Amino acid sequence: MKCQVCNEKEATYFYEETVNGKSRAFHLCRDCAQRLQAEGKLSLKLPEESQPTFPDLFGDLFGLTRPRGTKPQQGKSCPDCGATWREIAAGGKLLCPTCYETFRESLSGSIRSIHGNVSHVGRTPRAFSAEAERKNKKASLKEALTAAIAAENFEEAARLRDELRALDNQ
Amino acid sequence: MAWYQVKGNETDVVISSRVRLARNLQGYPFEERLTAEAATEIIEKIEKALGADFKRTDMADVTPLMAESMVEKHFISRDFAKTKSPHALFTNENRSLYLMALEEDHVRLQCILPGLALRDAYQFAVEADERLDAALPLAFDEQLGYLTHCPTNLGTGLRASVMLFLPALTERGYMPSLTHQLTKLGLTIRGLYGEGSGTRGSLYQISNQVTLGLSEEDILTKLEETVNTIIEKERKARVLSGEAAAIREDRIHRAEGVLRYATRISSAEFFTLFESLKLGVALGLIDSIKAETLHTLLFHVLPATLTLSEGGAPEDGAARDAARAAYIKRVLEDKKL
Ligand SMILES: [Zn+2]
Ligand SMILES: [Zn+2]
Repeated sequence: MKCQVCNEKEATYFYEETVNGKSRAFHLCRDCAQRLQAEGKLSLKLPEESQPTFPDLFGDLFGLTRPRGTKPQQGKSCPDCGATWREIAAGGKLLCPTCYETFRESLSGSIRSIHGNVSHVGRTPRAFSAEAERKNKKASLKEALTAAIAAENFEEAARLRDELRALDNQ
Repeated sequence: MAWYQVKGNETDVVISSRVRLARNLQGYPFEERLTAEAATEIIEKIEKALGADFKRTDMADVTPLMAESMVEKHFISRDFAKTKSPHALFTNENRSLYLMALEEDHVRLQCILPGLALRDAYQFAVEADERLDAALPLAFDEQLGYLTHCPTNLGTGLRASVMLFLPALTERGYMPSLTHQLTKLGLTIRGLYGEGSGTRGSLYQISNQVTLGLSEEDILTKLEETVNTIIEKERKARVLSGEAAAIREDRIHRAEGVLRYATRISSAEFFTLFESLKLGVALGLIDSIKAETLHTLLFHVLPATLTLSEGGAPEDGAARDAARAAYIKRVLEDKKL
């Protein structure tokens, strides 16, 4: 049995799985298995034994790992690049940054299977951290405003309202 | 000077540390949808954002042999060397920074430093990232982090890796078990060089696998702690005594002899000899050769780089083996290196 990636070397890894009643099997040589792992393409965690498991390499990366019960967002296309879900699922990669927003729901399952059920932590572009700061400030001003009104401190409430308005106009 | 010609820390075990950030510009599609005009536009925007201390090299002006040599020195990826559409490399050698414009992502920014220096490498990369961030809208999502072409790089877009020299752990057969344990930690290890199941020169690369949900700090700390443990284990495994030590010492000096005096050395033989020589230097059995000299050898005797420096046809095996032997001899004799 030849490796299904390089079509040259003998396949030594065999991986089989059944998802939603559909069975899939892949044969891989050691080199390709290692390379794909090194390139981060073996997105599922490796099991106890050295048998690598991963979504279909030749497409359907997202279809395979779509959680049960969710439908692919078919018919929709990305407003920026025109990509359809079918195109993205076939290539295993997004076609523009906006695709992530467009197909957020369909992607969530496969992103979870790659990275776990997590959200981003760490570095943030300046524009986003400024926006986040603005949001935080607005939230705390609103809270203070509610408290000021409750305490019938109308002078303070007026000042806070002006500050909020100024933030909105930024 | 290239990164491998500079002195580093822990170079008895660590060859290099590398940090790579994947970034994309909001408003431009990824490669499949990107026109040549848009690609050129991106390259120009990046050039402006980086500033004058980065040197731009358009890959269209680079011969395949030169590109392959850049791959051998880890300046660029093999995929990048093969790309047909407009793509450019930006380098800042003082900072050891190599930015690939239009690899899989619009930006693949990497810093490579000799020895164990993940923090410095990350710091240098961040400085360049800040320039990009100040000038360009980077594709980002609060939940998914930096948006990348492939979802495997989402989040920090950070791939941190360390190139290790592990002859003792390899010889004792610990590598499969180490590989298994690293996988459980979310780290990946692979052998550099060599075909099939064999790794040449006991050279490995360890990197983080997961990029989303862990901060850069967490990723670096985890990798650094793991590498420090491996360094300690490798050093312990190198301790031999009695007859075993004597046999090893003999092998090391034989390797040095062949490297200094042989007139034809194949690439496969080089890796075997290099392993012994590097170990000899690490153990203090050979004190006339510096780690930097060894690393320079390692990266300069690979086929494309060797052909570039020594001339000749890269496909002529015998001539290349002779050129390799001559080059090694020259480098080992040159006390200044
Ligand atoms: Zn294969
Ligand atoms: Zn799109």
